Amino acid sequence: MYTRNRTLHVTSSDDLDAVLPLSPTSFHVLVAMAGGPRHGYAIAQEVEELTSGRLVMGPGTLYGSLQRMTAAGLIEEATNPGEDGLHASRRRYYQMTPLGGTALRAESERLLHAANVARERLGT
Amino acid sequence: MKDSPDRVRAAYERLLSLYPRGFVERYADDLLQAFDDRRSEARFTGTMGGLRLVLFLLRDFVTSVPMTHERRTERRGVDGIMNDIIRDLRFSVRMLLKNPMFTLAAVTTLALGIGLNAATFSAVHGLLLSPLPGAEDPDELVQLYREWPGIEFGSNSVPHYQDLRDRTPDVFENVSSWYFEPLSVSSDGRTERTIGMVVSANFFQTFGAIPQLGRPFLPGVEDRDPGAHAVAILSHGFWETRFGADPEIVGHTISLNGHPFEIVGVSPSDFQGPVSFAAPPIYVPLMMADVMGGGSNQLAARGSNRMNVVARLHDETTLIRAKQSLDAVLLQLREEYPDFYEDQLDHTVVMQRDAGIHPSFADAQTGMSTVMMVVVGLLLLIACVNVANLFLARARDRRREMGIRLSMGATRSRIIQQLLTESFLFSVIAGGAGLALANVTNGLLTSFSLPIDGPWAFNVETDSTVLWFTVGVSLAAGFIFGMAPALQSARSDTATAIKGESSDKVGRSRASNALVIAQVALSLLLLISSGLFLRSLQAATQIDPGFDSPGNLLMASVDPGLQGYDEARGKAFWDRMLEDVSALPEVSGVGLTSSAPLGLGSSDRSVEVPGYEFAEGERSSLHYTYVSEGYIEAMGIDLVEGRSFARQDDDSGPPVMIVNERFADRFWGDQSALGKTVRAAGRDWEVVGVVETGKYNSLGEDPTEFMYFPQRVLYRSDMAIVARSEGDPQIVLQRIQELVRAADPEMPVYDVRSMEDHMGIALLPARLGGAVLGIFGLLGLTLAAVGIYGVMAYSVSQRTRELGIRVALGADRASVLQLVLSEGLKLALIGTAIGLAGALAAARLVRGLLYNASPLDPIAFTLVPATLLAVAALAVYLPARRAARVDPIGALKSE
Repeated sequence: MYTRNRTLHVTSSDDLDAVLPLSPTSFHVLVAMAGGPRHGYAIAQEVEELTSGRLVMGPGTLYGSLQRMTAAGLIEEATNPGEDGLHASRRRYYQMTPLGGTALRAESERLLHAANVARERLGT
Repeated sequence: MKDSPDRVRAAYERLLSLYPRGFVERYADDLLQAFDDRRSEARFTGTMGGLRLVLFLLRDFVTSVPMTHERRTERRGVDGIMNDIIRDLRFSVRMLLKNPMFTLAAVTTLALGIGLNAATFSAVHGLLLSPLPGAEDPDELVQLYREWPGIEFGSNSVPHYQDLRDRTPDVFENVSSWYFEPLSVSSDGRTERTIGMVVSANFFQTFGAIPQLGRPFLPGVEDRDPGAHAVAILSHGFWETRFGADPEIVGHTISLNGHPFEIVGVSPSDFQGPVSFAAPPIYVPLMMADVMGGGSNQLAARGSNRMNVVARLHDETTLIRAKQSLDAVLLQLREEYPDFYEDQLDHTVVMQRDAGIHPSFADAQTGMSTVMMVVVGLLLLIACVNVANLFLARARDRRREMGIRLSMGATRSRIIQQLLTESFLFSVIAGGAGLALANVTNGLLTSFSLPIDGPWAFNVETDSTVLWFTVGVSLAAGFIFGMAPALQSARSDTATAIKGESSDKVGRSRASNALVIAQVALSLLLLISSGLFLRSLQAATQIDPGFDSPGNLLMASVDPGLQGYDEARGKAFWDRMLEDVSALPEVSGVGLTSSAPLGLGSSDRSVEVPGYEFAEGERSSLHYTYVSEGYIEAMGIDLVEGRSFARQDDDSGPPVMIVNERFADRFWGDQSALGKTVRAAGRDWEVVGVVETGKYNSLGEDPTEFMYFPQRVLYRSDMAIVARSEGDPQIVLQRIQELVRAADPEMPVYDVRSMEDHMGIALLPARLGGAVLGIFGLLGLTLAAVGIYGVMAYSVSQRTRELGIRVALGADRASVLQLVLSEGLKLALIGTAIGLAGALAAARLVRGLLYNASPLDPIAFTLVPATLLAVAALAVYLPARRAARVDPIGALKSE
C-alpha cells in the first residue's frame, strides 16, 4: 500500500480514513518526525519532551508503534545520514511518508477544531 | 555488583522472546540499542535508578507485548478462540437440553454439594473468620482477659477495667468494656424484656462506629458520675422494628428497668455490637450499671468480674508491647490491692479477629468447623464422583461422535476443550443453583432461635467472600468431574470408536469401579460419623442429671429488680409467688433458684474449708446456686443425709448450707459432712444437708462439687420459679405467668419453659451435630446408591450381548443374576472396607465432641455398614434382575 503512495505521491481519502483518528502515540511520533528523519531513541526522547514527560516510550512500545505505523504507511525507513556518533551506522532511521504528513495535518486540524469548540463553550 | 548491568541486559535480551518471532528478528538490535540508551540516562543509574529501570521495562513489556501480538491474534487468536468457545457453549447447551434427565440429575447432585459447602462456609466465615462488621480497622482491636489458676479467659471488674483504661495510654488508643444486661424496656405502654448492653462511654469510639443519628456516648463526660447519665443508644435494628425508624427519635424518653432514659443516638446499620452471634438492641453507659442492676454494686466492686474488655492498639504497637504494659499494671495493682490480685496470674490478650465467639471455645470452634468443612467437602467429593460417573457413562455413549470428529481432523485438544466447556457450563449452572440453596439454608440458620431468650443474631450471610468461595468450589468441581472423562474421550482410538466396538471396555469399567468404591467408602465415613453423634445424643439423654422427670418440671424467670424493686419489696414479691404457685392444684412442689442446672450461665465463688489445705493451683472456686425452701423437693433431688432448707433458714439464725456428695467426699472423705463449716462470701456456713451429685454445667461433665445457699440469707432479685406439675405442663406455665401478672402487671416474665426444653441447651451441640451429620450422611447414602445403580445399570446395558450369549448357551437366569450381583457387591464390599478404616481414623478426631459414647461404638460400626450394604445390594439388584431377563435372540441381534 505505501509503495503505491510513495511512487505516486497520491493520498486517497480511503487510505486517510483507515489511519484516522491517530492514536496519541502515533500523533506525537509524527510530530517528532516532522522535523526530519530520526532514529528510534531520538524519537522517544522528542516525544517525551513534547509531552512534558507524560509519554515515556520503552523500547518495546517504541518499536511496536514504529512497526505498526510502518505497516499503516504513516512512516518509512530512511537512509542513515551517518552523522550520529559512535553507533550511528547501526541505527535505523525513520521518516514520515506523504500519507503520514497528510494524516498529521488532518489530525492537527481535528484537534484544533475540537480545542476551539471547547474554548468557546468554556468562554475563555 | 559490577556485572549487574550486564545481567539486566542479558535478562532483557532473554525476555525479548515474549515478542512475536518476526518482530524480534526485525527489531532485536534496535530494541537492545534503545535499552542501552535508556540505561545510560541519569534517572536510570544507581540502585534506585536500576529499580526504576526494571519497573519501567516491566511496564513497557506489559503494554508492548500484547500490541505486537495483536496483528496475529486479530486474524485467528482471540477471535478464533472466542469463536470456538461460543461454538462449544452452544453445542454444550444443545447437549444439555437433549438429555434433560441426565442434566437434571447431574445439576441437582452437584448443586447439593456446592450449596451445602457454600452454606457451611458462610456460617463458619460469618461466625468465626470474618472481622467484626461495622468496626473500623478490626485488626487493631484486641480483647483483654484476666488469668487465674484454671481460668485463662477471665472477665474484668469495673474498677479493674478503669485501671486498665487509665494506665495503658502508651499502648492502647482506647480501652472499652461491655457486658450483657437483661432489660425491661417500656415505651408507649408496651413492656418487653430483652438483653441490652452496658458499655463504657468510649465504646463506640473504640470500635470506630459512628452513630447514624444523634451522638455516641461521651468519654470524659458520661463516664464520670455513677447513676447520673440516663442516656441510651438504640441499635439500628431495634430503632426500625420498635420505633418504625422514626427520624425524630433522638430526645425521646424510654423506660429501662423502670427508670427514664433519654435516647441520644441510633447506632449505624452495619455495626451489630461487639460479638458475632447477638445484636443488642439498646446500649446504656457503664455509669448506669448499678441503676440497671437494681441496687447492685457493680461500679465499686473490684471482685465482681463480668465485663468484657476490648481495646484498640496504637498504630505500630505490637501485642508483645501491649502485654508488657499490662504486666506492669498488674504489678502495680498487686501492690495497691493485695487482697484482690493475689491469685491473678496474668492478662491474656487475644486479637479480636481470632477470638471467634469466645476465646475459651477456640478449640471447640475450630474443631467443629473443621469437622463440618471436611464433611461437606466429602459430600461435594461424592457428588463430583457421581457426576463424573454420569459424564463418564455419557462419554462412552459419545465415543462414536468423538471418533468421527477426530477422524475429520479435530485435534484432541479441541475435543478436550469442548468437553471441559461442557463441564464448566455444568458447574456454573450447578453453582448458581447451589448458591440459591445456600441462601435458603442461611435464611433458615439466621431465623434459627436458640432455646433461650435473647437478641440472637447470627452474622451469616452470602457476602462476596462466600460468593468467591462458591465460584472457586464450582469451578474446581467442574474440573474434577470434567477432566477424567475428557481425557478418556480424547484418547479414543478412531477406528474402533467409529465401528462402535468397545475394545477398551475393561479400562473404562475400571475407572467406573474405582469411582463406585470411592463413593461407598466416603458415604460410609459420613454415615458412621453421624451415627456416632446420634449415639452420643442418645447416651446424653440417658445421663442422670440428678433430678427427676424434667418433662414435668417447669420454669419461669422473673427479675423484680428490673422493675425497680428494692430488697424488701423483692422478698415480699418472691414470698407471694411461692405461696401462690404452691396453691395451684396442679403443682406438687415449688421452689426458687438463682440459676437452674444445665443452663448457659454458672456462678462460682471461692471457699475455705477449715481443716483442708488447697494444694498449689488447686481449684478453690466452686459452683453454687441460691435456692429457696422447697427447691430440692420440687426438683426431685435425692437427699442423702441431713435435711433440706426450711422457711426459717433466713438471716436471723446461723447461716446454713447444703452441699452435694462430691463436695462432701472431697473435703471430709469418710466423715459425715453434717455440722461441718464452710467459709464463703464472708460468712461461716454450717452444712445441714448432703444431696446426690447431679449435672450442673453440661451433661458430659465429670462429677462436680456444688453448693446450695438459702435465698433468704443471700438475696438476689433475679430468680427462676421451678414448679413440679402434676397436670398439663403448658397450662401450669400459663397459670404461673398469670400469677406474676396479678402481682405486678408490668413485670416481665422470661425463659418460660419446661426443664426438658431448658436442657435442650445442654444437648444443643450434640443435637445440632447429629442432625446436620445425619442429614449429610443420608444425602451421601442417597448419592452413593444412585451412583452404584447408575454404574451397574450401565454396565448391564453394555453387556446385554454377552449376557444374551450366556443365556443362549444355557446359563440359567439365577446364575446370570448371581454373576451381576456378585460383581456389584464386590465393589460395595471393597468400598465398605476402605470406609470402615477411614471411619476408625475419623472417630479418634471427633472423640472430644461425644458424650459418654465410645468412638468405637459397636452399633454405629455394624448397623451403618450393614444398612449401606443393603442399600448397595438393592441398587445392584435392580439392574441384575433386568440382566437376568435378557432375551437372548434380541440381545444377539442388537449389534
